[in-house]
Amino acid sequence: MTAAALPSPRRRSRLGHRVRIAAGLAACVVFLFPVFWMVLSSFKDQRDIFTMPPTLFFTPTLETYISYMQRADISRRLINTIIVAAGSGALSIAAGAMAGYALARIRLRGAGTIGVLILLSRGVPPIALAVPMFLVARSLGVTDKHITLILAYCTFLIPYVMWLMRGFFLALPRELEESAMIDGCSRFGAFFKIIVPISMPGLLSTLIFSMILAWEELLFALVLTNRHASTIPVSIAGIAGDTVNGANWGALTAVGTITVIPVVVFALLVQKWLIQGLADGATKG
Amino acid sequence: MSTMTAEGARTARPRASAKLADAVSRWAFMAPAAIILVAMLAYPIFYTIEISFARFDLMTFSAVEWVGWDNYRHVLDDYRFWSSMKVTLVYLAFALPLQVVLGFGIAFLINADWRGRGTVRALFIIPMVVAPVVAGGIWRMILDPLWGIVNWLIGLFGFAPLDWFGDPNLAMAAIVIIDTWRWTPFVVLIATAALLALPRDIFEAAEVDGANWWSMLWSITLPLLVPIIAATFVVRWLGAVKMFDIALAATYGGPGGATNVINLFIYEEAFRSLHFAESAAMAVIVLVLTMVLTGIFLVGSRALEQRN
Amino acid sequence: MTPNAEGFPPAVAARKGGSMVRFHRAASSVSRRAVMAGAASAVAIAALTGTTAWAQDAGLGTPEAPVEVRMIANEAFANQWQTLMVPEFNKHYPNIKVTIDGVPYVELLAKSMLDATGPSPNYDIIIADDPWVPQLAEVGALIDLKSAEMAGWTAADYDWADFNAAPLAAGEWKGVQYGVPLRSNMLMMFVNKALYEKAGVPLPTPKITWQEYLEQAPKLVQDTDGDGKVDAWAVDTYFVREPLTPTIWQTIMNSNGGRLLDDNGKPAFSNEIGVAALETHRKLLEFAPTGAVSHGFSESLQAFRQGLVATMFQWGSVFKGSAIDPKTTTLKPEQVGIQVMPVGSTGPGAHRGIWNGTVSAKSEKKQAAWAVIQWLSSKQGEAWHSATLGVFPARKSTLASTPAEPWLVPVFDALQQAYNAAEKGQMWRIRHPRSDAAQQILADEVARAMAGQISAAEALQVAAEKIEKVLN
Repeated sequence: MTAAALPSPRRRSRLGHRVRIAAGLAACVVFLFPVFWMVLSSFKDQRDIFTMPPTLFFTPTLETYISYMQRADISRRLINTIIVAAGSGALSIAAGAMAGYALARIRLRGAGTIGVLILLSRGVPPIALAVPMFLVARSLGVTDKHITLILAYCTFLIPYVMWLMRGFFLALPRELEESAMIDGCSRFGAFFKIIVPISMPGLLSTLIFSMILAWEELLFALVLTNRHASTIPVSIAGIAGDTVNGANWGALTAVGTITVIPVVVFALLVQKWLIQGLADGATKG
Repeated sequence: MSTMTAEGARTARPRASAKLADAVSRWAFMAPAAIILVAMLAYPIFYTIEISFARFDLMTFSAVEWVGWDNYRHVLDDYRFWSSMKVTLVYLAFALPLQVVLGFGIAFLINADWRGRGTVRALFIIPMVVAPVVAGGIWRMILDPLWGIVNWLIGLFGFAPLDWFGDPNLAMAAIVIIDTWRWTPFVVLIATAALLALPRDIFEAAEVDGANWWSMLWSITLPLLVPIIAATFVVRWLGAVKMFDIALAATYGGPGGATNVINLFIYEEAFRSLHFAESAAMAVIVLVLTMVLTGIFLVGSRALEQRN
Repeated sequence: MTPNAEGFPPAVAARKGGSMVRFHRAASSVSRRAVMAGAASAVAIAALTGTTAWAQDAGLGTPEAPVEVRMIANEAFANQWQTLMVPEFNKHYPNIKVTIDGVPYVELLAKSMLDATGPSPNYDIIIADDPWVPQLAEVGALIDLKSAEMAGWTAADYDWADFNAAPLAAGEWKGVQYGVPLRSNMLMMFVNKALYEKAGVPLPTPKITWQEYLEQAPKLVQDTDGDGKVDAWAVDTYFVREPLTPTIWQTIMNSNGGRLLDDNGKPAFSNEIGVAALETHRKLLEFAPTGAVSHGFSESLQAFRQGLVATMFQWGSVFKGSAIDPKTTTLKPEQVGIQVMPVGSTGPGAHRGIWNGTVSAKSEKKQAAWAVIQWLSSKQGEAWHSATLGVFPARKSTLASTPAEPWLVPVFDALQQAYNAAEKGQMWRIRHPRSDAAQQILADEVARAMAGQISAAEALQVAAEKIEKVLN
């Protein structure tokens, strides 16, 4: 079950192992404390959030959650966010992983240059891209569409995926696909049957990363959508920049918590599946 | 060609077509990414460069008159541009190394072989998922000198509260802390995957040879991880250069202009001041600088990769 | 209530029966200039015959073919309008479907511009903040609401003269009325009476001067629970690096007779009055809570609502959330006072913040769009708006009436005084096609002065130089 981990620490002292786990957990607690504070605040009324000293004891309220989940614009935007994150995550992982493989393993004249150019395209500040992308989308009549946002997100996801996956592929032993191709696999066959399964940890981590980036993107979402494809970060920015009543931190933390949950659930499922898959692979191997 | 016999041509054709098929199959890996990016980015990049050399007309959102380097001169004359560049450099110099080192360190710790590993790894991504505006705000709550828990804790030990967002240095520290909190999990995510993918047999062999923990880390794990560490660094660098949401949410670029990173300035010039041409000129400058620095990093990482 | 009860002129009322929906888009290629040229005579014909000369407009809709108008508005109130205001509006105009898209405040202007400058904009109604009307008008995005075309669709009892001059002027640019005030706001002085009593300082009146205020301020920094630590301060307001922070400085300057621009449109604030005002703004920091230099709208509100500060200079619209609503505030209604900003050498201070309803120049549904914002800014609509949603009115008649909620009484009183002061001293942000760029420069320089990085004089000098360049 756990065979896929680091070298099994047979000789390492049990104590060292425990210290390592404890230190890892401690790091986790430190990093999750602000998240805990967010979740805690989401159950407070606005007036209880900014007390001095900060309080752990208050009358919890679910009202913020209920009132915001009932808002049509919030639920619509949440669904849009899921569509766009899944779509751009899937598209960029497919295109990016193949490009990364080309860079790492396929001898292609000029591919390295193209790869570097793709990476360097990330140097353009997104603020500069948003307006011309909108102008193009408008002249094509595709503003406020999911596919527009998905493709726009691919512009920053693909370079990342490509470069990260290149790193993962480089670490694989070369003999893997060579032997497969000698066995009569096509280049595609070798990639999809041999390389992709063995690179699952990297692919899934990169997929999660891509989906998170798409999940929280605000600028393109603001400029390219109006209503039908508008995403949840727009709502969050709106609540934070409330010029009528001031930022409603009860609402912000509640919506913030709501948006975190789907991604965490997804990541947990993926982790479980990943460990399971690796264990299966190990026993089969 | 002309000397080729009929027989030779017959055998050459399949070979040529095989060669073509091979090239197509090679390029097919690169093509989807390249096509999407060219289709989506070619015009926007051209547009940005075009308007950076032009007078911008808000009525049509287009360049109307070539003005040469005027916009660039205007930008370079503005002290705010230079102070933003300085602020950005300071932020990058602290945040990037911190995140990469912390990230790989924590990844090593949480990859310890035990049941809760998968859960811990999944929970670790949460800081990344929290929307930047919310993240900035929560940290403001936590660090606030009046109602923040950090200063309350400091107060329990009898110290005066720190004015995290009022002091220029502390405000920069706050930005680095928040950014590190947000993005170290990315490094952890990638690093844990990289550690998982390491070939086990090498370690087993080393263990049999009696290598100790440190020498395994130093002479086997790290060299194997070099490509992915370099890739993580480059990806994080390209992301960090563009950071402005956290600064906007946590410090508004203040106090004064102490945390006004260059992308925040570009954003404000475009979306608040509607100075799209000047904003584009800054974007081009940032693009060129980013390309140069990324190039240096790539050369560096290639050297590291090839050393192994 | 039937539409006819609105008191529209016969011609308009006749058109409401609506046989013109089918014409929509048909004549969209007719150039705007041609339409304008024919406007005056067309109105006359329409009035006589009851038929329409505005074939390209979609009219007010019929039950079979309702008109859909789209509005772009601040995300902060878009949802509230969609769920509460639109149903109320539909009681009067059942055949106009209103869809409101919210955009966060900071991106709203750019987004409106991007949409309105396109060949066929999405939005028929643009909700524009106070300094935005000149910027939108200059790119040709807005229609003159008093043009002959629009006048034909204006109710006879729509009383333009009833608006206070200051809020109505926010919708005007170069003599043309592009907008009507829908949500009016003014910078006000909020008072936590309990903290004044605790400090033994007499409650301020609207006559309090800046000098008197600053003399009292040190006493309002106090230790209320006697544990030896200061736990209440005199003031909180905008100090942070953001575009609204300079409005505090500007209000102090305006009330002392200073101006942002002179008659030739050149910066006129880099002088003794301006510098003294900025120094006063900075002096407020001495009596503000720790960390106040990073406080803006939300942070100062939080401090006031937690009972940490005795006064707050803030937009009047936050009164309900600060004094009335127990979910958001720890203060009691009787504890909170509201009045005009302190008095300078020329009178009390104020600063205007009006959300204007405007109609897109390229809209094909101008009549319906105008019907929406016309109703909302009418006497009837405004009364409903302020009574139900607590939004501040701009009309003299609404302000003079007895408000639906008792807490609005002192607010209306202070609001009327603020309107008068703002009109007298031209207390609003720079009105210019590039006003937001100028405001951003002010924000940067005022923030540096607040943080003590440069002197007040230097900040204003730099700002004046930069703004002069931007405005030309």
